Amino acid sequence: MSPFDRYLHAVLVRAEHEAREDGSSTVEAGHLLLAIAGEGHADTRRVLEPAGLDRAAVRAALDREFEHSLSAVGVSRAAHTLPRPSGRPAHPGMGTSAKLVLERGFAAVPRKKDLRPGHLLLGVLTAEVGTVPRALALAGSDRAALLAAVRQALTDPT
Amino acid sequence: MPDDPIIPPPDTADALAAVAALRRLADQLEDAAVEQAMRGGWSWPRVAEALGVTRQAVYKKHARRLIAAGVELRRRQG
Repeated sequence: MSPFDRYLHAVLVRAEHEAREDGSSTVEAGHLLLAIAGEGHADTRRVLEPAGLDRAAVRAALDREFEHSLSAVGVSRAAHTLPRPSGRPAHPGMGTSAKLVLERGFAAVPRKKDLRPGHLLLGVLTAEVGTVPRALALAGSDRAALLAAVRQALTDPT
Repeated sequence: MPDDPIIPPPDTADALAAVAALRRLADQLEDAAVEQAMRGGWSWPRVAEALGVTRQAVYKKHARRLIAAGVELRRRQG
């Protein structure tokens, strides 16, 4: 197992945990971003930390996006008061947005052995629409600047 | 009838994101409501009919989760 394979595995395990916590039957791009922030690899910390994006900040941003998007059609997250359902025991599958993250991250390098942790974050930040870019915008994070920072970190490893 | 200009909705991105968020909220509500029904002794066919889906669909989606949570499931409506 290469260092990147180990990193990818650790992030995917974390992302599955995030999806289950979220009551989601699939791992989505937001769960990958939570996992990347939580895993805290030096390459991604260089990009996320100056922007104040630790795991808790990403979680808060995703929650805010959910509430904001519901409110666009007059619905509140607190619209029902049923107790929180029991979690799903099974492994959540990879959702469409998470598959796109991996595709885009992997497409950034000519050979698989060139993959580094930053490429996963690059895959997340490349999405122009969807939950993650909206959450980042609502949190006041500049996605284009983050993208430039991750590109810079990938070309200039320390 | 003259051609009406196409008036764009106030914010396309918000409208699309609302669809995604409503699906997520509906999934969460379904998980909670089905669990409440099964804990309350409802049968699968009754829950399925109330949701307007097939028995197989509701069973496939929720049985494993509820069994793992220790919910006692009824086979048949008494």
